[in-house]
Amino acid sequence: MSPRTKILMLVLLVILAAGALYLHVLTQRVSFQPIAGSGEEVARTRLSEAALQSTAGPEQMATLYFPSFEQSTLREEKRPIAWAEADTDRIRQVLLALIEGSHQGYSRPLPTPTLIRAVFLAPDGTAFLDISTLATGDLNSGIADECLVVYSIVNSLAANLPAVKRVKILVQGQEVDTLNGHVDVTGFFVPDPARISVGP
Amino acid sequence: MASGSCKKLDRFPRRESDKQVDAPGQTFRHVTRLSRVLPAACFCGLVLLLWSSRTLRSDNFVFYLPTARSVIPLETIDGNKYLPLISILNTVGKVGALQEKRDSLKLWFGETQIEVRADDKKVRVNKSRLDLAGPVRRPKGQWLVPVDFLTTVLPRLTSETVEYQTGTNRVFIGDVRPISFTVRLDRTANGARVTVQFTDKVTMRTAASNGKWYLFLGGRPVEPLEQVFHFQDPYISELRFDDQDGAPKLILTPATGGLDLYPALAEGGKVLLADVLKPPPAPPQPAAVEQPMVATGSPQPAPAAAGGEELPAGPPLPVVVLDAAHGGTDVGARSRDGVLEKDLVAQIVARVRASLLAARKFRVVLTRVGDVNLTFEQRETAANLHRPYAFLTFHAGNLGVRTPRIVVYSYQAGSPAELHDNSEPRPLLVLWNKVYEVHLDQSRQLARVLQQKFAALPGLTTDEPQEAPVRGLRSVDAPAVAIEIGTLTPEADAGTLTDPSFQQQIANVAAAALDTWRGGTL
Repeated sequence: MSPRTKILMLVLLVILAAGALYLHVLTQRVSFQPIAGSGEEVARTRLSEAALQSTAGPEQMATLYFPSFEQSTLREEKRPIAWAEADTDRIRQVLLALIEGSHQGYSRPLPTPTLIRAVFLAPDGTAFLDISTLATGDLNSGIADECLVVYSIVNSLAANLPAVKRVKILVQGQEVDTLNGHVDVTGFFVPDPARISVGP
Repeated sequence: MASGSCKKLDRFPRRESDKQVDAPGQTFRHVTRLSRVLPAACFCGLVLLLWSSRTLRSDNFVFYLPTARSVIPLETIDGNKYLPLISILNTVGKVGALQEKRDSLKLWFGETQIEVRADDKKVRVNKSRLDLAGPVRRPKGQWLVPVDFLTTVLPRLTSETVEYQTGTNRVFIGDVRPISFTVRLDRTANGARVTVQFTDKVTMRTAASNGKWYLFLGGRPVEPLEQVFHFQDPYISELRFDDQDGAPKLILTPATGGLDLYPALAEGGKVLLADVLKPPPAPPQPAAVEQPMVATGSPQPAPAAAGGEELPAGPPLPVVVLDAAHGGTDVGARSRDGVLEKDLVAQIVARVRASLLAARKFRVVLTRVGDVNLTFEQRETAANLHRPYAFLTFHAGNLGVRTPRIVVYSYQAGSPAELHDNSEPRPLLVLWNKVYEVHLDQSRQLARVLQQKFAALPGLTTDEPQEAPVRGLRSVDAPAVAIEIGTLTPEADAGTLTDPSFQQQIANVAAAALDTWRGGTL
């Protein structure tokens, strides 16, 4: 073996060893990377991120409808939101506010790990919401509760965005039968004011 | 290059005419080439053939223990049955630790150390070596051992007795006393009777699916002398025992469609009598019964006369389909004290069924029998096949702080644009996801009658009937309602909901409401 070949082999070995060491370090990092923070924090972080990413205007009062599972109804809650310019961003803001939860002690319609994967607004006023499967895992179970979850989203969007006429919910980009075994989400939803309760 | 290319064409003629003009020597070379290709092709074909046989099929293997049973997937490789090693050990006890290398696995089971190697028949148990009938396999990272592991190695790992009959897919570990049975077939005036004599008492639940009848035999383990009984009979072609899902049952296959099954237990549950009879000629349907529009296509499986009750002679009784929501891995809601929605609604459905059958005015079909996962389509198909008079699906969930409480739902689409215009004549064909439209008014009426009856129950809170897009009602070709009972929520105990007398009241009221809606008095 010529000296040149030996040097070449040595260089290759050093590169290989360095690569193995780097891979090991990467593996360690991957292993000890926390998967997620607390649900509350995640939701708030995402809400902040969305607000930062959008071109936020002055704060205006938004109307949100949160479920009151105990009373089987939707409850109204006013909240200042710095609206983004684009309607799709505003849809995201409403959804994130719902995921963040009520400030008045009502129930949260979607669990905090829920991700909003995509939002589209068709010219005919149909809002397509693509949410992650995390949204369906921790849902309260039951026909009444699942209805409240769906109409919490639909009524809140319609109340704040006149352009939204109806809503279609997708999960992980796919049409699904139900969110958690009860309410048919294969079709579109228009707002249903009858599910909102006013007064104490 | 040009000459080389021409020569290649001569040696490997692509067209038939090319072959005909070949010189003898060239043809010989062509044959020589073929003689090389053919064995290679045969070898590849053989490999593919053998490859497919390695994973020809998979099945289940049932472990019966004194207080539990476990269903483990069974793999068939090269014609031999294999079981996952770690699943076996965790069923019998608990694997303490394991050390896995590329081609060997070492694990600790209690005080015992077990070592296996891939593609090796030998198993090391502490210091002794045991030979298995076939080599240990490791497909897709899973360690599989031949089934004779149960008789060769397992008895050394546990102090319990291990009873395994070679060739079967079940093993009995510990103090498990399986029952067995014999079968006899007799002809009757208008059908056939299967008599199954058990060595001990059994219970029975019936179901019908895919043109077959299922007779579930309760919780006792069963070890059949024969797995399958074939009959040369115009009414019954086969009786098969099956416990692949951990639930022992007899599957009765009728020789032809359009027959009815009337099962009953006798001698305190030690004898099962299953009468398979020709139905009496069907008179015209009563005008009150809605004629469904969904075409069934295939011969309709006769519904099992649930519970073996004798049906009164006369016109066929209307069918009520009862659907216990959820099931299997889909447990639904749960209470703080661990009551699962799937179990609760199954109990209530069983009581409603019994109440309806006691009235002898309806036939009852259950969409879900046992703890199984069913899709919405399976439930709807099971219902629509029987051309039901009414469909009730039972749920339990969070209905607020006032409990017990009942809400009755009929279907309402999420968007009014999807609603059917009732003034238009009914179309010849109805889309599967629009079937509910045909029965909207009747479903609302049924919901109203049910709610009124429930409202008369003391101590029960009821709401006005509600309309909601309940998925389980969408494609049912009959007046259909969902009954939700509450409150079942993780924040509270189930309380009254599990009370048998409360459940029976609900069942009686549901049966009475159906009868009232039909125009009778129960």
